[in-house]
This record gives sequence, C-alpha cells and structure tokens, in this order.
Amino acid sequence: MLVDRGFDDSTEQSMTGEEAEKDSTIYAELAELTKYVEMMTKTIRDMETPVASTSDQLPQATKHLSDLAKLTEEGTHKVLTITEEMERQREKMIKEVSALKVQLSGDQAMALDALLEQLKADEQRLTNIHVALSFQDLVAQRVAKLVTILNEVQHKLLKLVVVFGLQQKMMGKDKHGEGRAYEMLKQLEASKTTALEQNLVDDILSEFGCA
Amino acid sequence: MIDTSIKVLVVDDMSTMRRIVKNVLKQIGFSDIMEAENGQDGLTKLKAGGFGLVVSDWNMPVMQGIELLRAVRADPDLKSLPFLMVTAEAQKENIIEAVQAGVSNYVVKPFTAEALQEKLEKIFAKVQAGK
Repeated sequence: MLVDRGFDDSTEQSMTGEEAEKDSTIYAELAELTKYVEMMTKTIRDMETPVASTSDQLPQATKHLSDLAKLTEEGTHKVLTITEEMERQREKMIKEVSALKVQLSGDQAMALDALLEQLKADEQRLTNIHVALSFQDLVAQRVAKLVTILNEVQHKLLKLVVVFGLQQKMMGKDKHGEGRAYEMLKQLEASKTTALEQNLVDDILSEFGCA
Repeated sequence: MIDTSIKVLVVDDMSTMRRIVKNVLKQIGFSDIMEAENGQDGLTKLKAGGFGLVVSDWNMPVMQGIELLRAVRADPDLKSLPFLMVTAEAQKENIIEAVQAGVSNYVVKPFTAEALQEKLEKIFAKVQAGK
C-alpha cells in the first residue's frame, strides 16, 4: 500500500508539474497575444483621427476640382462671346470698307485693299483663338477623372471610418446608429456607379462624429 | 470640295466644345449647324432627318459617340451619313474600334481648324467618289 501510495503521489506530483509547465506556456502566449491586441488597438485608434479627417477633407477637394472645371468653362464661354462679337464686327467692317472702296480710286483704294487684307487675316486669328480654347474640354475631362478617383478613395476611407466607428459602438454606446451606418454604407455602395451624394457622405461622417 | 450647304449635327457633352466646333465649321463655310449634347439626343435629331454630316465627340454621358456611330450605321436611313469623330480618346484601340464601327474620319483633340477642314475635305471627296 505504501509503495502504491508513494507511486501514486510521485505520479500526481509529476502530472502537476507538466500541467503547470503547460499553464505557464499558455499564460505566456496569452500575455503575448494581449500585448499584440493592445498594440493593434492603439494603432487603430491612432489611425482613426487622420482617416476621419482625410475623409472629411476629400469632399472639399472634390468640390474645388469641380469648381475649377466650372470656372474654366465659364471663362471659355466669356472669351468665345468676345471673339464671336469681334468676328461679327470684322464681317461688318469688311462690308463697309468694301462699299467705301467702290467709291474711291488710286492710293485711297489701295489703302483700303491693305485694310481688307488685314481684316481677312484676322479671321484666321480669331479661329485660332476658338480652337485654342478647346483646352477647356481636355481640362474638364481630366478633372472629371480626378473627381472619380477622389470619390473612390473617399468611399474606401469612409468604409474604414465606419469600421472604426463600429468598434466603439460595440462597446455599448449607440446601437441605433450602428444600423443606420450600415444602411448608409449600403447606399454608398449602391451609389458607387453614380456621383457620390454629398449629403449622404456628410450624414455618415456626422453619424460617427467626423463631420 | 466641301458641300457647305448641308445641315451639320455637332454632338458633344461640353457646351464649350460644341460652340468651338460650330465656329470652326462656320469659318469653313457651313451655316446650317445644329447641336446635341449626347449620343441619344443626337440620334433623335438625326432620325428627324435632313442632316448631311455628323461631327461627334466620343466620351459622353447617356450614349457615347461610338454607340451613336453604331446606331447610325445600323439604321437603313442613316447608314451612309458621313460621321467625323472629334475626340481626346486617342488610343490605338479606340481608333480601330471607330474604324470597325464605320467612322468616316477621326480628329484628335486638341485639333486645329486646318486639321478639321482637311478631314472634311477627305470625307467629301469620298462621298463625291461614291456617287
């Protein structure tokens, strides 16, 4: 019996030692994991503010770009209006000078011929101005592409904002807002193929305190 | 020899470009010029009849220039209508696509008045030769 008990005791002691060693390993791993989770949580928190801030600034950048295209369009129309008026005046002057020339002769008629030549040459110059203004179309096309790219970046950043926001909400702050945010995100996803609506973006940002 | 008595349709979503192309066409001698702001609008106007030339952009909302071209070539009443593409889409595949769709000629933006006139002369020379 004594031998048996002694054997049993030593076995129990040996098993306890192994378990203790395993426990120690698990605790060490858990401690490592906890550190990692803490580090990741801190990194995410650190990223949240700049991401939210960037998401907030992008609509402004998009608006500035759209305004730029609009301004160049308006400017181009103004220049076109002025050159068209100049063209009408030029045509009127050609008619008047031609009519005057019929009544004159000699040096005076020759002087008017030179003037008519100048007026005809202006036609080409005015056309060259018109054609040069086609830069506006190219600018507008590039701006439109930039706006599309910015909208895409903004959409992706908003997804991050929503995810970070939800982490806070899961701590029990606001269950109602969570569902709304998902709904807005779905609407955003649906509007991806069309222009991003500013009011929708603003609502999402506001929902998560980023507006 | 360009027949400047025909009615021309200028299709472009940018109002500035429509105005610029119209002015250049006027300088060449055309006086009967109408505008459309996309392919769909253009097709509706073309179907109303009376046009002798289309000058169209490629990249437009609602209906792109290449789709308008295909629609024109598929329409028995419009299929022989001269179609000039004036566009910033200057990739090789774009040009091949337009040619395969039946474009009469292709001008790349930014263009000069001379380039537009030269292309129109080529188009009308072909039209004359085909008569």
